[in-house]
Amino acid sequence: MSQFESTRRAFLNDLGLGFGSIAAASLLQQDAQANLTSQIQRLAPKAKSVIWLFMIGGTSHMESFDPKPALTKYAGLTIEETPFKEALSSPYLENERVVAFDPNNGFIRNELYPLQVSFRRWGESGLQISDWWPHVAQQADDLCLVRSVWTEDSNHGAQLQFHTGRHRVDGFFPTIGSWVNYGLGSLNENLPEFVVMGTPVADCCGGMEAHRANYLGPQYDGVPLTIDPANPLPYAKPPQGVYREEQAGEFDLLKQLNDITAAQYPDDDAIRARIRSYELAFRMQMAVPDIVRFDDETRQTQTLYGLDEKETRPFGQQMLAARRLVEQGVRFVQVYHGSNGGAGQWDAHKGLKSSHTRLCKQVDQPIGALLADLKQRGLLDETVVVWASEFGRTPGSQHANGRDHHPYGFTVWMAGGGIKGGVAHGATDEIGFHAVEDRHYVTDIHATLLHQLGLNPRDLAIPGRKRLEKEFGEPIHDVIA
Amino acid sequence: MIVRCAFVAVLLAATSVSGVEVDYERDIKPLLHQKCAACHGALKQEAGLRLDAASLIRQGGDSGAAIMVGDAAGSLLVHRVTAEDVDERMPPEGEGEKLTPEQLQLLLSWINSGAAAPPDEVIPTDPAQHWAYQPPVRAAVPSTDRAEWQGNPIDAFIAEQHAGAGVIPVDVADRHTLVRRLYFDLIGLPPTRDQIDRYVNDDSSSAWTNLVDELLDSPHHGERWGRHWMDVWRYSDWSGYKNQLRGSQRHIWRWRDWIIESVNRDKGYDRMIVEMLAGDEVAPEDPDVLRATGFLARNFHSSNRNIWLDATVEHTAKAFLGMTINCARCHDHKFDPLAQSEYYALRAVFEPHHVRTERIPGQPDVLKDGLPRVFDAKPEEKTFLYVRGNEKHFDKDAPVAAALPAVFNQPLDVKPVKLPPTAVFPALWPHIEVEDIQRAEQQVAAAEKQLARQRAENNHTSDSVRVAKLKLQSATAGLASLRARWAADKAKHGRAAADDEITVLATTAAKAERSAQLAKAHFVLADKQADLASAEADQKTEPAAKKKALDTARNAVEAARKQLAKAEAEAMKDDAAYTSVGKIYPRTSTGRRTALAHWIADPYNPLTARVAVNHIWLRHFGQPLVANTFDFGLRSPRPQHADLLDWLAVELMEHDWSMKHIHRLLVTSRTYQLRSSAGPDRTTANEKVDPDNQLYWRTNVRRLDAEVIRDSVLHVAGSLDLTLGGADIDFTQGEAIPRRSIYFRHAYEKQMTMLVLFDAAGPNECYRRSESIIPQQALTLANSTLSLSQSRKLARSLRTEVRQGRDQHADAEARFVELAFQQLLTRPPTDSETNACREFLKRQASILASTETLTDIGGTAEPTVEASEDPSLRAQENLVHVLMNHNDFVTIR
Repeated sequence: MSQFESTRRAFLNDLGLGFGSIAAASLLQQDAQANLTSQIQRLAPKAKSVIWLFMIGGTSHMESFDPKPALTKYAGLTIEETPFKEALSSPYLENERVVAFDPNNGFIRNELYPLQVSFRRWGESGLQISDWWPHVAQQADDLCLVRSVWTEDSNHGAQLQFHTGRHRVDGFFPTIGSWVNYGLGSLNENLPEFVVMGTPVADCCGGMEAHRANYLGPQYDGVPLTIDPANPLPYAKPPQGVYREEQAGEFDLLKQLNDITAAQYPDDDAIRARIRSYELAFRMQMAVPDIVRFDDETRQTQTLYGLDEKETRPFGQQMLAARRLVEQGVRFVQVYHGSNGGAGQWDAHKGLKSSHTRLCKQVDQPIGALLADLKQRGLLDETVVVWASEFGRTPGSQHANGRDHHPYGFTVWMAGGGIKGGVAHGATDEIGFHAVEDRHYVTDIHATLLHQLGLNPRDLAIPGRKRLEKEFGEPIHDVIA
Repeated sequence: MIVRCAFVAVLLAATSVSGVEVDYERDIKPLLHQKCAACHGALKQEAGLRLDAASLIRQGGDSGAAIMVGDAAGSLLVHRVTAEDVDERMPPEGEGEKLTPEQLQLLLSWINSGAAAPPDEVIPTDPAQHWAYQPPVRAAVPSTDRAEWQGNPIDAFIAEQHAGAGVIPVDVADRHTLVRRLYFDLIGLPPTRDQIDRYVNDDSSSAWTNLVDELLDSPHHGERWGRHWMDVWRYSDWSGYKNQLRGSQRHIWRWRDWIIESVNRDKGYDRMIVEMLAGDEVAPEDPDVLRATGFLARNFHSSNRNIWLDATVEHTAKAFLGMTINCARCHDHKFDPLAQSEYYALRAVFEPHHVRTERIPGQPDVLKDGLPRVFDAKPEEKTFLYVRGNEKHFDKDAPVAAALPAVFNQPLDVKPVKLPPTAVFPALWPHIEVEDIQRAEQQVAAAEKQLARQRAENNHTSDSVRVAKLKLQSATAGLASLRARWAADKAKHGRAAADDEITVLATTAAKAERSAQLAKAHFVLADKQADLASAEADQKTEPAAKKKALDTARNAVEAARKQLAKAEAEAMKDDAAYTSVGKIYPRTSTGRRTALAHWIADPYNPLTARVAVNHIWLRHFGQPLVANTFDFGLRSPRPQHADLLDWLAVELMEHDWSMKHIHRLLVTSRTYQLRSSAGPDRTTANEKVDPDNQLYWRTNVRRLDAEVIRDSVLHVAGSLDLTLGGADIDFTQGEAIPRRSIYFRHAYEKQMTMLVLFDAAGPNECYRRSESIIPQQALTLANSTLSLSQSRKLARSLRTEVRQGRDQHADAEARFVELAFQQLLTRPPTDSETNACREFLKRQASILASTETLTDIGGTAEPTVEASEDPSLRAQENLVHVLMNHNDFVTIR
């Protein structure tokens, strides 16, 4: 058993099973957790933490990580007029399920639209990455581009689907981050196990359900963290005018009184768990503001993350906080980018070139910095960074200068945590339409992460809550180092 | 010839030599159950084969023996599960994943090693014989020789189980514990100190039952139990982006108020079901009853009708019947006797219904207020079976008719309902005509006033007088038009007037309407012309802006001219076509929902009453009698306390489905009044037999529900506003507005954070709350403006009380501690608690005496009550704040 596993188990025991439901009402859940604990020991984890970067709205795969020169070559022709017309009769088209019919959204666009950006080969691996992503590209030899991901929802409910594996029509389910939280617990007693940053997915597309635990219970929800030392998370601090010494005195008395009651009720597990929850809360309110206070980061580090530039600063701060969180043992850090209260800013139905140029500028340098920084600190080996978007964009044009939603084939990349670097796995066809080689439904990404964390996805289930096959996914063994 | 893939061949070869240790009960039975039994078991016997018992596996089916004992390679079962041809392979595509190599290995080893199985294996019976599908029969109340367990039939059932298992129940709890327990359970609020004292000092033998009756009569009982049923019935306020409605309905709080009122009036549960599912059919003219259909209206989902109807089917079945028919949306149910077609037959009951909002008196704008209710909008709408649940794949020539699942062996007795005039033409509600005519009259009066003013201020031939005259003419014609159209509509929809009369009235209405349009067009043109003239005369505005203003004014005049020309042309007509004053809806409702509701609420329905009493039991005892509150299907074995469950179910039905009757029975039982904890000896002995307290030898400790926690914080400080009912309150105002939590908006993306952290019901589904214990809860009670401000407020009132010496107390400090404990924890402090608190008060006051040496935490929220400047009072505020964070503040013992 590795050291961190024993730490984790001791921790869970200490806290009454990771603060899972203590009441008799949740015995089932406890059993599940207990089972889980025994199962996990069989697997050897490669990674400890995940940083999950989610671009809201649908980033163009062919203008980012999956170059398709054929689009430029055949630009202006309809797909039928090109040698790739069989894409339009592929059985894969059947996978798509429309939730909300809308003439502006979610259609196959026929007239091929040329690439809006040039590509270069990077690193020793020679991975092709577009010029909108120069900083990420510098880390090419650590990237594993999975160019053959597909999903089902051609509306933005796919944002929810990307996190739960279930179509929006099916409802809400635990998300990948909450499963990791459920399966592993934290390595740090002072911080939440699952942290969320950035404005979440909007209500149209799953809302907060994209980082919630649903039937696992709120203890496994992602905890929203704001880059504001004064107010980093809900109720992290009392209102104005409370003194630290005053509060410490209160917590002391509280512990004393609860201990007296606990002694009176030796068979009440809940009171013991609540006493510990207050101890953790007290430590948490001290530790959390420090995570988003960057005073102890060098000037050089701050510049690396783009903290001194207006465009890169907000996401740069989140990336830096993400590094600090995983450094402290937080298991799952989910960062959203591009929220606009609706479908998301990456949703380039028109003006793709200008919007993607702007958005890539906001995130590219901070993400590149995160990868470089994790690596130089030796953290990349134990942290999987995932970059994703709910789907890609159509090969065909929409509104003259945009692309529509595209669930049939798109790119997600991973880096670190025992994932092979400098690799392009899977492929779409020549116009970037269908994933044709090594196809992966979105939960294969989940399963790969879980595998690296030492969890078997099949163990993550609650009695009475049936999970479908598609929710589990299969680890992508080809990309595991 | 069956082709097998290479690895299977390798496996087959390997197992013949190595062999894996395999156990039928542990490895094989669950595997076959999971993969095969839905089609080859008690539920269905495809190809005459059953694989749910070893003897039946050996026996085989239409194609012969399923296995050759000792010869896996030659066994048909193995051939079928390993076939490469997907048409050949089991489980069939879409019905389940193929066996993994490990699973296959187990199967092969089992066959090769002789297919051993216990000889006494029970063969599962016909699913229709499942206990929950048989109508409940009142079991004889057992006799017990222990006197104190004889009074209440519940106790007799429980005592029998105690005796059988050799468990000795603990004693009845003390009065302080009991009064707190009962107040929370029946009204969701802690007792005040007066209320505690009144019960604790009541020596009469009926003290407990009197208190029970009093609390059941309290209007707050409806709030407490209304919230419970709102969980089960999926109450949700409207959700959506900005002003766009996407889920549930605006003003659905009227359904919430219906729930609270129904609970308070002790409306029969059977009647509640009928009103919620079919209030529009059984009482189409009663707005109070129409509110109940919020149960269905709540399922509205703007983007997709399938999501809407799927939720309707799923949760109607789960809430009332404990039936997971939603599992049969894509395929036949894997465990229960429910075919996929039966899922759609149930959907057909709901297919015609939609939602509309009725105008309520005093508010013509239904966006601002109104009554959302359902109605059968499309009686002819067909339902289709979606192949594998995919809405793209269905046979449009094979619609599914509304029906009940065959296992219940009952027809759906559908009788179409002829609707009364106000349901067909809601404008006939008297307030609508009165209000609309009034509004038109006010417009005339306003126009008259304006004309008088213009005449007084301007030359009689001026533009402004001309415009005012035309406006008055337009308003007058508008009023006449409205009156005429009302007359025609009332004749048409309200009373059965003769065709001739209707034609005359319609012709008059049409003429009046055209005149009104013409008058309006004249007015608008004159008005726009006046605007243009003043724009032309304007000397102050700079040229560019003036040109823009002139263009706009000219365009408006041009548009008005066109409108006038159109109105003049219209005025030439003499037909009887007029704009109706309201919308017309279908004259009949299909009656399907009424038929379904009556079947659900029928005493012969085996599920309804059992499911209901199980929900009630859960919320008094902390655990249900049937573990899964929404699934009474074959995955729920007959429960330990089946006789008790059935007795209660019959009791509910035979007492007019009165929930209060059941509450009274439960909370007056000895079982309910037991202590939650025993001395160490008894606990140890009982725990050996029944560690999970399945036999109720003690009471379960429970955590308060989210709403009750917030309400208690306010109530102990005397701040809670106990107003009943009304429109939903902004969920972001939870710390500022002291109303009960039930009245705050509760919807997808619109929930109070404080409540969510304490496991508030998910608006999408919550048949049972969880009781988590997480650090964020601690942060909430420790750091929220609410808890801090309320504890300050309470501390001050307690200090005043002690000072005023309601009962002169020598030791003011001890008295303060005592009052605080009573108020917050419903009990006096022990000596060690008092000592700890007194030391704290001293220490804290001395720390706070020199605040300049202290470190401000630097919070930014503004408290509604500032901390006291007086160190000793501030220390008392701190003490109250600590007690608000005490484990027992959020606990029912």
